[in-house]
Amino acid sequence: MRKGLLAGLLVLIAAAPWIVKSGYVFHIATMIALTIPLALSINLTLKLDQLSLAQPAFMGIGAYTAALLTMRLGVSPSLAVLAGGLLAVVISAVFGPIFLRIKGVYFVLLTYAFGQIVNLVFQEWTSLFGGNNGLYGIPRFSIFSHSFGETEYYILGLAVAALFFFVMYAIERSDVGAIFQALNEDEMFCRSIGSNAQSWRVAAFIMSAFMAGIAGALYAFYIGFISPDSFGFGATIDLIVINVIGGPGSVFGPIIGTIVVVPLLEFLREMRQYQFLVYGFCLVFFIMFFRQGLVSIFERKREVV
Amino acid sequence: MILQMIINGVLGGLMYVVMALGFTLIFGIMRIVNFAHGEFYMAGAVLVMLLFGQFGWPFFAAVAAAGVLSAALGMLCERVLFRKLVGAELPGMIMSLAVSIILQSLALLAFGPAEQSIARPFDGTWSLFGAIVPWDRTVVAIGSVVILLAFYAFLRFSRYGIAMQAVAQDRETASLMGVEAGSIYSMSFGIACLLASLGGALMAPVYTVGPYIGSLPMLKAFVVVILGGLGSVPGAVLGGLLLGLSESALATTFGSTIALIASFIVVLCVIIVRPSGLMGRKGT
Amino acid sequence: MSTMLEVKGLVKRFGGLTASSNVTFAVDHREIFGIIGPNGAGKTTLFNVIAGHYRPTAGSILLEGRKISGNSSDQIGRQGVARTFQAVHLFHEESVAENLRRAAMISSCHNPVAYFSQRGEKVSAKVESVSQFLGVAHLLETKAGGLPYGHQKVLGIGMALMTSPRLLLMDEPVAGLNPSEKRAAGTLIRRLRDELGLTILLVEHDMPLVMSTCDRILVIKQGTPLTIGTPAHVQSDTSVIDAYLGEDYEFA
Repeated sequence: MRKGLLAGLLVLIAAAPWIVKSGYVFHIATMIALTIPLALSINLTLKLDQLSLAQPAFMGIGAYTAALLTMRLGVSPSLAVLAGGLLAVVISAVFGPIFLRIKGVYFVLLTYAFGQIVNLVFQEWTSLFGGNNGLYGIPRFSIFSHSFGETEYYILGLAVAALFFFVMYAIERSDVGAIFQALNEDEMFCRSIGSNAQSWRVAAFIMSAFMAGIAGALYAFYIGFISPDSFGFGATIDLIVINVIGGPGSVFGPIIGTIVVVPLLEFLREMRQYQFLVYGFCLVFFIMFFRQGLVSIFERKREVV
Repeated sequence: MILQMIINGVLGGLMYVVMALGFTLIFGIMRIVNFAHGEFYMAGAVLVMLLFGQFGWPFFAAVAAAGVLSAALGMLCERVLFRKLVGAELPGMIMSLAVSIILQSLALLAFGPAEQSIARPFDGTWSLFGAIVPWDRTVVAIGSVVILLAFYAFLRFSRYGIAMQAVAQDRETASLMGVEAGSIYSMSFGIACLLASLGGALMAPVYTVGPYIGSLPMLKAFVVVILGGLGSVPGAVLGGLLLGLSESALATTFGSTIALIASFIVVLCVIIVRPSGLMGRKGT
Repeated sequence: MSTMLEVKGLVKRFGGLTASSNVTFAVDHREIFGIIGPNGAGKTTLFNVIAGHYRPTAGSILLEGRKISGNSSDQIGRQGVARTFQAVHLFHEESVAENLRRAAMISSCHNPVAYFSQRGEKVSAKVESVSQFLGVAHLLETKAGGLPYGHQKVLGIGMALMTSPRLLLMDEPVAGLNPSEKRAAGTLIRRLRDELGLTILLVEHDMPLVMSTCDRILVIKQGTPLTIGTPAHVQSDTSVIDAYLGEDYEFA
């Protein structure tokens, strides 16, 4: 069974840092693990037939909240991370119902504008967010005063990524997935039998914001430094590339996409200027010739839609 | 004081209209949101920087050449990349994102990340009833008006322009009446890129030129088009002037970032009340 | 006999066009009520306003005494009203049993909170009983997309039944059916009332069906009511006959 093969492959990849025993590999693996919830976050909005470009903004909200709570108020990192996710939830609950009134293109534009504006706030409100210089010296993540080392960060990242993956997997395979699919295919019918379509959409949007917020908070503690740059247009592009390469159809898509793209990003770190060029050509290639994404390699042969 | 605000607002607004028009044109006709629109603005500015700033061409010749070259580039992109994606909104958007980052990267690789100033062809100011109007902005404004009038004449009176309106309204019927969609798409993409790049070209000496200067005009174009309705030309004009005027009013008091945030909030309110924008078509 | 649905002075305007005006009628519990009228009379608009797809411009609609006018279609769906569609709305790739199950599931899990508080639903028993009632129990494993059109329409009714409605709105239930299927449909509609105690409001073009099935009929012309009464009354009303002159209708 192809999915079994894929699962086995993923477990192997997850174990790789211990097999290879390299600090660099641990770093890449941690970055992959931290990016997975973000990729899943956009994937969830795709399940609503919408593309939300607001996820980096929620990531930033989670990151800055967690960092500021720990640095300024001495809140313990684990609580701060949860608080970051929670604030993302609150803000998405406020704006989600507004954004989700509109479909398709307008939604993308609106979430894009939202993302840019939030980023502008991070840049301009220097007294709180440190402006373009960002926030330095975010302490290491710790539980009960035990400071996290490299391996522990990876395990934490892996645990969170796995958690969100299983949640998304459950959504996909359960009746919740069937409901989303039915709402996309035939909302009028679903509403005629009493389904509150808007509430489902808002719930998915909030969930995706939560995932992005948590990912952002963990990222802040891992890197130790955040700036508006990390949550801007570049992040949006990263996530789109990940989802396009991985494939939007299944929950495995973002996983594959992240595993492929994040190391690429690190590899191109030396050649930052070429990064977006490579991205651009990858997107062009995949959109033109391989729209189902890499995950389709692992799926049973289906008719091309 | 008020007059100054209004003048600033109109000057800014006219540029927004030019940007928004091209953007709304591509959407109205091809149902594709062109995220690369800002990069054609940037291309126009870059070309003027080269032709006027480095090679010493006369300013307006450089502007015209920048427009034509960018339009040609746009038409090439359309033919190769976008033609097959007409109507497929999401892939079209992502493709335009791809074009956007490719163009940005090319500019980055060619000229480096720093923004550069170029020599100003027009200096000084003149005064209109006590309000101060810089000459370079005046040129931009006059240029914008000329562009808008030419565009209007094109839409209204030329065969292609009328055909474009037909395709925007109803592709199938238009093709039944012999309007060949392919050439219309090329033309609209070309004109949109022409508009954006002329905007960038005219503005090149006013501020600075760099790989990322297209993002803000792009964001403004979005706001205008959402306000005025995607696909609506009168909406783009109305929205652009509105945005320009309100920005000017707010920027004088609160600063431009607050102005942008305020315009975003206004957009949100418009969306709540009228999802298709102030003048957009229902169901767009 | 108490009133299930009451429509009072309903007006619906779209911009300058008045699609319905002054519509007043009441439907009793367990009544089969028909709405007919020449083409373009506004039957569909009226139906859609009652179903919550449009908000009335004026007037009110009461469901068992409670105001539902202005409620959205999903709110009305949760208040015991279900509707069938003229076009087929099914999950074509799934089996008949799965279609029925999904209808119940989507309906009961109407928002995420409801989803998580539902546990141990006896849906399979309901699927059994509904399919038995409709006579499609032998087709439970068949893919919905593979069913003949008449059966698909019956499945549509089944999916509405899975939500346990008290009032069933039917939009041209026999459109596209052949004569024997139409007769079967008429029998089914009567059974829905007789055996399941449903109140039924239907909009139809097919006169034989309406005349043989409905207890009372409302005739609409150009958005306004022409007459309301039993089939016998309506058939002998000259204004109704006039309204249909020029159309190809048989009255019975």
